[in-house]
Amino acid sequence: MRRFFALLPGPTVVKILLMVVIVVAALIALMFLFEWAGDLLDSGGVIGEAPA
Amino acid sequence: MKTLRILGWTMIWAGGIILAFLAYQLFGTNLITSRAQDVAAEEVADRFTEVREELVADGQFPPEVIVDDSTTTTTSSTTPGTGTVPPGPVLYEEPTPEEGEAFGIITIAKIDLDHVMMEGVDRETLKSGPGHMPWTPLPGQPGNAVISGHRTTYGAPFYDLDLLEVGDEIVVETALGDHVFAIRETLVVLPTDVWVTNPKRGSWITLTTCHPRFSARERLVIQAELIDGPNLPYAQAEIDEFLEPMS
Repeated sequence: MRRFFALLPGPTVVKILLMVVIVVAALIALMFLFEWAGDLLDSGGVIGEAPA
Repeated sequence: MKTLRILGWTMIWAGGIILAFLAYQLFGTNLITSRAQDVAAEEVADRFTEVREELVADGQFPPEVIVDDSTTTTTSSTTPGTGTVPPGPVLYEEPTPEEGEAFGIITIAKIDLDHVMMEGVDRETLKSGPGHMPWTPLPGQPGNAVISGHRTTYGAPFYDLDLLEVGDEIVVETALGDHVFAIRETLVVLPTDVWVTNPKRGSWITLTTCHPRFSARERLVIQAELIDGPNLPYAQAEIDEFLEPMS
């Protein structure tokens, strides 16, 4: 993480802001991934949708 | 050496993400549903009170319905408004709920199931609890009311549905009162087998959920017939009328 932080461009304030944006984007992407993968475990049991 | 280190860290991160995924699906989603059910319980109590007041005012409230003490309406031995018992079976109806609205409570004593049901079967609605397919009748009305629910995530309301057997009872409370159904059939079908949602003569409820547990490959389907409730005489008369020409 420290190395990744050091690789970010700009002064420390910009690096922190960039880090926050990257972490938030990663969490959002992770939630979408979890939702998608969650449908494979349990899609809600609705009849009439294509097999997961 | 560097490649090995990168590979090692990748595996550690992948493992962490998988663990986080399992924790979210098996525990985190339960919290979401638990909170939604608390809100839905208040919503459904409000709906019961409002609808019952409206139906009593219109003289269309079921005469022998069991009404909870928390509501403002009371039971009546005759048809409100007229004071006389109607000559033929009466069909008691209730207003169609809005998409996402809590409209009833499903209870199955055998598997300790007690959940507020919502209108709709979209992804967001099913996170709050079992959902009613809007294009099918409400439970207790003539036809086939279809209710879908999660099996292993989001509160897993239908986790133990496979333990139910023919003859077991399902109780659904709506604004009209309690509707008691007896299970007639349990089956496993493909998610595309929409025929299980087809209309049926009499009054039925069909519960659908994923099968087997932790997989959405198939659907476990429970079909139950109304055996008690405000619309039983009407549903029975409908069946008798259908069978009459055949006898």
